[in-house]
Amino acid sequence: MLSKSLIAKFAEIAGKNVWTEQEDLMCYAYDASFGEMCVPEIVVKPETTEQVCSIVKLCCEESIPLVTRGAGTNLSGGTLPVNGGCVLLTTGLNKILEINTEDMYAVVQSGVVTSDLALAVSAKGLLYPPDPGSMKMSTIGGNVAENAGGLRALKYGVTGDYVMGTKFFDMEGNAVISGGKTVKMVTGFNLSGLMVSSEGLLGVMTEHTLKLVPQPQSSRSMLVIYDDLMKASVTVSEIIGARITPATLELMDRFTIKTVEEAAKIGLPTDADGLLLIEVDGHPAAVEDEYAKVKSICEKQGGKVHVAETPEERDRLWEARRKALSSLARLKPTLILEDATVPRSRIPEMMQCIKDITSKYSLTVGTFGHAGDGNLHPTILTDKRNTEEMLRVEKAIDEIFASALKLEGTISGEHGIGSAKAKYLESEVGAGTIRFMKKLKNGLDPKNLLNPHKMGL
Amino acid sequence: MDELLKELHELEEMMLQCMKCGTCQSDCPLYRTDGRESSVARGKISLLQSVYEGRIEDAGRILKHLDQCLLCTRCLKACPSGVKTDEIFLRGREILRKIKKLPKWQKLILKTAMEKPELMAKMAPLMHMGLKFGSKKIKDGIYRPMLPALGGRNVVEIKSEAFVKKYGGLNKAENEIMRVVFYPGCAVNLIYTEWGTAVVEVLRHFGVSVYVPETNICCGIPAASMGELEMFRNAVRANFDALAEYRDAKYIITCCPTCRYGLYEMGPKQTGAECPLEVVDILVFLEETLKVKIQSGVRGRSTIHFPCHYQDSKKELVESFVRTHTDTEYVKLDNQSCCGFAGTFSLKYYERSKGFSRSKIQEMKDKRTDKVYTPCPGCAMQLADAAAGEGLDAEVTHPVTELYEFLRKIK
Ligand SMILES: Cc1cc2nc3c(=O)[nH]c(=O)nc-3n(C[C@H](O)[C@H](O)[C@H](O)COP(=O)(O)OP(=O)(O)OC[C@H]3O[C@@H](n4cnc5c(N)ncnc54)[C@H](O)[C@@H]3O)c2cc1C
Ligand code: SF4
Ligand code: SF4
Repeated sequence: MLSKSLIAKFAEIAGKNVWTEQEDLMCYAYDASFGEMCVPEIVVKPETTEQVCSIVKLCCEESIPLVTRGAGTNLSGGTLPVNGGCVLLTTGLNKILEINTEDMYAVVQSGVVTSDLALAVSAKGLLYPPDPGSMKMSTIGGNVAENAGGLRALKYGVTGDYVMGTKFFDMEGNAVISGGKTVKMVTGFNLSGLMVSSEGLLGVMTEHTLKLVPQPQSSRSMLVIYDDLMKASVTVSEIIGARITPATLELMDRFTIKTVEEAAKIGLPTDADGLLLIEVDGHPAAVEDEYAKVKSICEKQGGKVHVAETPEERDRLWEARRKALSSLARLKPTLILEDATVPRSRIPEMMQCIKDITSKYSLTVGTFGHAGDGNLHPTILTDKRNTEEMLRVEKAIDEIFASALKLEGTISGEHGIGSAKAKYLESEVGAGTIRFMKKLKNGLDPKNLLNPHKMGL
Repeated sequence: MDELLKELHELEEMMLQCMKCGTCQSDCPLYRTDGRESSVARGKISLLQSVYEGRIEDAGRILKHLDQCLLCTRCLKACPSGVKTDEIFLRGREILRKIKKLPKWQKLILKTAMEKPELMAKMAPLMHMGLKFGSKKIKDGIYRPMLPALGGRNVVEIKSEAFVKKYGGLNKAENEIMRVVFYPGCAVNLIYTEWGTAVVEVLRHFGVSVYVPETNICCGIPAASMGELEMFRNAVRANFDALAEYRDAKYIITCCPTCRYGLYEMGPKQTGAECPLEVVDILVFLEETLKVKIQSGVRGRSTIHFPCHYQDSKKELVESFVRTHTDTEYVKLDNQSCCGFAGTFSLKYYERSKGFSRSKIQEMKDKRTDKVYTPCPGCAMQLADAAAGEGLDAEVTHPVTELYEFLRKIK
């Protein structure tokens, strides 16, 4: 419990937007990850960068742990206030400050919802490519802090590829400015690069300058149905091997298809073993060419190709993909989504590993993911009240990560480490890396107040 | 308290379905205005869970958060995990209401409306008089009350004669092809009586005879939204009994989507009883069953506000109704968030509710529309207040009134 005088200091800074009542605190004791609730001691919603600065300074002086929270949709426990302390909401910093169509960048505050930016940008004829499945609710700050990827990551890259500049406050409340509006800029350390994937451990970001690109002139989306999931996986490596880079190349297994269809009723083939959602985009001529090549590769592997004829049909397909994760949650009380990622040529091997592990521990698992960039989401459906099954789940997860690493992959393609995957981090990056990160963090935040314990730091 | 925990436990299975993905944030009108988790479904579910898991001792304190929910069902529709947020929040309110009693004045209004429907109708002339004396007419049919207690809300005229008083009984059509029951609901019965007239007369024109119940029993949703679920269940049962009397009617027609939701969706879920006939919205009935083909002749620029409880699958039908049966140039309203009326929400949180409707009126100003159609009397009241408050001289009405006007002219 914070003292009354401390609470009053917060209130002096943020006025009414300070909450300490039990019921308000309970609302920030979770995020979208599977984990135990951790209750903060105070929640603040600053509406100006000055307020952010003062809150950071206050936390620093009073040694209050500080957790920055956007929409709280991360899947790795990144916003759980493990040490209590203060949760700082960025949802009050939600202004799009500039969309520059000449120089093609946007300047936004950290709390802007991703799809709000995407819509505003597309109204001006440009494209902000990162499109995480959670874009309708996640914030730009959260996207940068997690380096969120999206359905278009294969061709267009992830959030980090679009960050030209970032403003943030370090734990002492110093304003740090990195990068800016020029395409080239090599002034000092690449600090905005450092903030990408920083998961709220290095500073509180308030503003971002983001690169925009021209909208592709044309695109073609297709749904390819397979009676054998392995053939779908092979198709993925063949498309990449043929030097074609679709904008999107998504995979869903039988289990996921059925569930999404039940939830979204959009006419997916529920008897298929696997499907791919592919979109090629760009110059019309190139699109036609790539489309024909992709189609023939799919058909060679026995895939049945359906092309979306109208924009509405296309939207429905993407909507289905976006809903995959949460639709799975319909089936069992507890859902654990993993983020194992491998070099894309090794997708078939990884799919096989997941299959084997699933049957070894007799678990219910739906797998879908951004196959084009090797990023798979095996999603385990269970019930946390079933302690016996939870033990098997834990073992299965250990093995899934071990397999990903064996295939020269990573334990996280896009969801970050947070508290959920802290224990696996060293096995991927080694003790030296952990030490380096610790020193960095200690130097910037000696009292370890910024999002403590995440990534094991 | 133990009893309470037991009841909350019954909600557990429904709530466990929520994986806290946060998808409900994207559509929740409350969250979109304040960015706080206590506004959105995910937060409210966590609060209820915190009570039964013992992390919040004083359960009464979370009632205000549940109470602020508009019950607009947007989270229900958005939730990919199929969490039955509407049932959770209604039951949650009921359970918590047991600890925190309803303020006396709210209880009194509710009791009269729910349990003495005849009295409500009889009081109509009195309310009508009261309104005339206590307010200033600022526009046709719109009054600004002079009592500050009413918060400066511009109210729509209460009629001196209740709709059922005039139309109660069978309104026979020439060349009858079918009989239906028209369920007006409280707002049409006392306020938008002209909508009721339009419904009955348009149906008669097309050969449909219309039963209008002699007494309008409230659908009960206001009670449900205040946490008085038992009162709601009683109202639903009373309605089902009364409606079962019309043995030769084929449908129940309504021009209030909330009444339809109460009687046809939530009612059966909460009572286990079945509605004796299918409840169909008037526009859906005209388009799908009667397949009316008429081009009326109104001029101007119009837009549509879709009520939260209108069936999503029928929204295009309303647009096509407006396009074909009115001669207005139809402009889409982008802001299709809740209007803010939301049953009793706007009574309890008027300032907050005003924010929702104000932004719509702003968009109407920007788009230069002078007419807004909405197939719901609650939304119409809220929008009429906002339009008057924001100085927009726009007409707010139900699309069926246009059709009626047109038929009258060609007769
Ligand atoms: C249904 C669903 C689908 C998803 N799909 C994808 C997907 O396709 N791709 C993907 O990559 N992820 C996906 N995610 C995960 C999640 O949406 C992303 O990680 C997203 O970037 C989180 O954004 P947020 O605003 O919710 O951040 P939060 O969850 O609030 O925070 C995430 C982390 O960022 C930090 N942070 C947030 N804002 C700031 C700031 N201003 N300054 C400093 N640190 C900050 C927090 O401290 C925390 O560590 C999905 C999640 C869900 C529930
Ligand atoms: S969308 Fe559904 S599952 Fe997701 S947080 Fe909201 S209520 Fe829970
Ligand atoms: S019913 Fe409407 S207001 Fe209530 S939580 Fe759901 S979306 Fe928000």
